Amino acid sequence: MTALALAPRSWAGMPRARSPLALLVAVVLLAIAWQIGTIVSDGWVPSLDRIGAAVVANLTDPAIYGQMAITARRILIGFVAATAIGVALGFLMGLDRRVEAFFRPVVTMLLAIPDPVYIIVAILVLGTDESSGLIALILALVPFVVVIVHGAVRARERQLDEMSRVYKLGRWAYLTEVLGRQIAPALIVAARTCFAFSWKIVVLIEALSQPEGIGSQIYYSFRLLRSADMIALALIFIVLMRIVESVAFGFAERRLMGWSRR
Amino acid sequence: MTSFIEVRDLKVSYDGRREALASVDLHVADREFVAILGPSGCGKSTMLQVLSGLLQPVSGSATIDGTDVTKPADDRPRVGYVFQDHRLLPWRTVEENIELVLAAADIPRTEWDARIDRYLNMLHIGDYRKAWPMQLSGGQRQRVSIARALAIDPAVVLMDEPFSTLDEVTARTMRQQLVELWQASGHAIVFVTHSIREAVFLADRIVILTKGPATVLSEVRIPIARPRVYEDPALTELEASIVASVMREWGFGNGTEPQ
Repeated sequence: MTALALAPRSWAGMPRARSPLALLVAVVLLAIAWQIGTIVSDGWVPSLDRIGAAVVANLTDPAIYGQMAITARRILIGFVAATAIGVALGFLMGLDRRVEAFFRPVVTMLLAIPDPVYIIVAILVLGTDESSGLIALILALVPFVVVIVHGAVRARERQLDEMSRVYKLGRWAYLTEVLGRQIAPALIVAARTCFAFSWKIVVLIEALSQPEGIGSQIYYSFRLLRSADMIALALIFIVLMRIVESVAFGFAERRLMGWSRR
Repeated sequence: MTSFIEVRDLKVSYDGRREALASVDLHVADREFVAILGPSGCGKSTMLQVLSGLLQPVSGSATIDGTDVTKPADDRPRVGYVFQDHRLLPWRTVEENIELVLAAADIPRTEWDARIDRYLNMLHIGDYRKAWPMQLSGGQRQRVSIARALAIDPAVVLMDEPFSTLDEVTARTMRQQLVELWQASGHAIVFVTHSIREAVFLADRIVILTKGPATVLSEVRIPIARPRVYEDPALTELEASIVASVMREWGFGNGTEPQ
């Protein structure tokens, strides 16, 4: 058995570099750089011990969990809606040339628009209530999902289409068992991308226009010049989102792609 | 002899311009094993695509058991198709691949186990029922593909050069097994090949096509009794006579040596 075969593999089947020593060196170097920044900035960059204390203080404050729940709900709504719309549109564009001809320029245009523009336009048109933020979020995310899914559907194995037609598999069996499973890696990438963007954009939307949620709390700390609190809130949320991402998508990946590791 | 498959004056073209079949007639009796022989690119596979409903002809007719198969319809007869490559779904095990087509063919679930066992055992791959396609050799995958085609109890089995990618020893074994399977199951088989030896060994009758766009050049009934053996001089003699008869037509000079 080769070293490559023994190496842990990422979802794409590529060997993933994992070295505890490298991780330790990176963390230590980052901590040193941060402390230098603290000294150079004359305290404007909070020291690591201040950040640590702020993390503990925030985690022991029950109010933060309510704020997190609000943000998590917004992320979930935006993520589910954008993924559902993007996957459906990506499938349709990949399977039907007329749909593709109509939507391709639209998607290309939407992709080119920076995310803050969606947020600002949504606030200007719909006001500062929660729905405007969610609409901005969905508009910003859908094009990414569409592009990934559309590309995968277009690149599908046409010979399996023929097999499906010969054996009269039916539309549902074809979509779920042939096409869906074939583009599963792309669906996971699309969902991961959508999730990664969605929580970052939700935090931005909350900072710009919402009175509640982690983003608004970060912005509140910023206005009061509490930089340690600001960084602590961001750190807590980043770690939480990474855990959710790793658990949820890791599970989906094992379920859908487990066969390829046998 | 009544025709189970009947193809008349079949014309097929791609994109309305490139002609694939000029005019082909074909008659296959029930339980008959017919080989379609022709040079590469003459349109042999195109005929199977029409019979399986993958392609619609420009004109002509094609029926299986009296049902027109040139138009999309729900009542088209079940067709088992063995492609040049196995076309198994790599994310489904051997049995799951077969179950997928059994479900699509509305075979009662109570019969699935017995059918899967029967055909996998007949093809000597019963032990691989729970295996993934990637764990099988090329020959084993193609055996699964054959089992999948037969398990739905098709009206006809269409085979498109199914052994052309296998090594000769595996291909010979599989040809032998195919004949045994055909004799046991009694399905009509239309077998496309460009190997004259393979056609002579397998078929009751060979339909020889011209260079593409194809028409029927001639038909040869194989008078050799079964079981046939590869080393039979009668087989070699028949093969040589077919080679001589098609050389000029397929573009190889005066019939003595390829140009």
